[in-house]
Amino acid sequence: MSPAHVGTRPTPPSSEGTHMTKDQTFTLITEAVREILPELADRDLHESDTLDALGANSMDRAEIVMTVLEEMDLDIPLVETHGPQNLGELARHLSDTAAVKAR
Amino acid sequence: MRDTAGLVVTGLGVTTAVGQGKTAFTRALFAAEHRFAVMDRPGRQLGTRFVGAELPALEPTTRLGARELRTASLTGQVALSTLEEAWTEAGLDGCDPDRVGLVIGGSNLQQRELVRAQDRHRAKPHFLRPSYGLSFLDTDLCGLCTSAFGIRGLAHTVGGASASGQLAVIEAAEAVASGRVDVCVALGALADLSHWELLGLHAMGAMAAEDHADAPADACRPFDKARSGFVYGEACAALVIERRGARPDAPAPYARLSGWSVRLDGNRDPNPSLDGETAAIRQALDRAGLTARDIDYVNPHGTASPAGDTTEVAALKACGLTHAAVNATKSITGHGLTAAGAVEAAASLLQMRHGRLHPTRNLTDPVDDAPRWVRGAPVEADIQHCLSLSMGFGGINTALCLSACDA
Repeated sequence: MSPAHVGTRPTPPSSEGTHMTKDQTFTLITEAVREILPELADRDLHESDTLDALGANSMDRAEIVMTVLEEMDLDIPLVETHGPQNLGELARHLSDTAAVKAR
Repeated sequence: MRDTAGLVVTGLGVTTAVGQGKTAFTRALFAAEHRFAVMDRPGRQLGTRFVGAELPALEPTTRLGARELRTASLTGQVALSTLEEAWTEAGLDGCDPDRVGLVIGGSNLQQRELVRAQDRHRAKPHFLRPSYGLSFLDTDLCGLCTSAFGIRGLAHTVGGASASGQLAVIEAAEAVASGRVDVCVALGALADLSHWELLGLHAMGAMAAEDHADAPADACRPFDKARSGFVYGEACAALVIERRGARPDAPAPYARLSGWSVRLDGNRDPNPSLDGETAAIRQALDRAGLTARDIDYVNPHGTASPAGDTTEVAALKACGLTHAAVNATKSITGHGLTAAGAVEAAASLLQMRHGRLHPTRNLTDPVDDAPRWVRGAPVEADIQHCLSLSMGFGGINTALCLSACDA
């Protein structure tokens, strides 16, 4: 955000504000998973699914997360995305991080 | 102990604009087909109208899934498909993986895809995909191919500019001769040029003039007086090299690798050298135990470079090879650069097997009448010994003798 906007835009109370919601982020994640792991094209993806269990290796995981970060225009080091254990936690983490970064 | 006796080619794979696979390629050679056009693959033109021969849709390998192929470059995908054809023909699935090797000819192989990725991320470099860190390396092809085919013996690339493909054949032969592996696949990789490489080659005067865009079929004319430089062509070829009789279930070989030579001019520039070319030819013949008279057919480098073609004809004359039939495979495929030497070795082997030589396209007014040009129509020929030549920028000259197994 450019300095001219600082203070002119209300700070969202949470990631549910003007920023991508957790659900929207989850959708982005599932799209990235299906792009990078094409064999999952027809599989339902749930918040409890883990990238490990879905068959992603470390390169696949990095590709998936970077794809989502670009979609969100969220510039953070990949290492900061290593905590979450499943897709739901990852969606929560990324949407919360985006909200904090935007403040 | 180095033992070069009895090395043979037992499998071939070929992918060119005029055909994917040996059957389609061979048919196209004898029919002198072409696919020269103003190129339209993304990343090839920058306000230009470069003519070249681009592959039609590729039949993908069955050895890797969609996930692996998603991040494989065009060069990688073509390598996999081409290797699969050669591998399957030679029947290598039962071989001890530790005794199988792969030598990939070429460097800077994936320029077009790199430029496209760089352009996509120029304004947002932090989002460059992690896979770029793997795929920018030419040796990503080694990774893809060894994982798809379970090769464990050796795998590396060799760079020799436009002689890379033949250099890969020679290094693969040396790997079997030295006993490092029992079977070694040589692959001349597709050189995926971006508009930058095309612009550079054009600026240095190596490529055919851009005014051919209105008549692409006429652009590529090796050894013709009206030639104006090479015309690019996407291509790849793979040759399986092993010792004759080493595997009881190996298919009948195409031919023996009877002799080869690599000679350098000590010259960084792109200009050809009569001395270097004649030295390579003579050394290859000598190592094969042959004289020039024994050679029935020469598959020349023949790029349609003004200086290159006349120098090569002078080398053939100096070596006493004017009795041999000569055609120019690049008149049909275009110049595959790093792939060319392997594609032309494959073309030579296929012509030996069919007892037939393909015509040279656009050779209407030869630069010299001394060589026995094959043009107009294919000719029947019993080829006992063939000589294939490759030259590369930076003073690289390679020569390869291929001999019928009973010759």
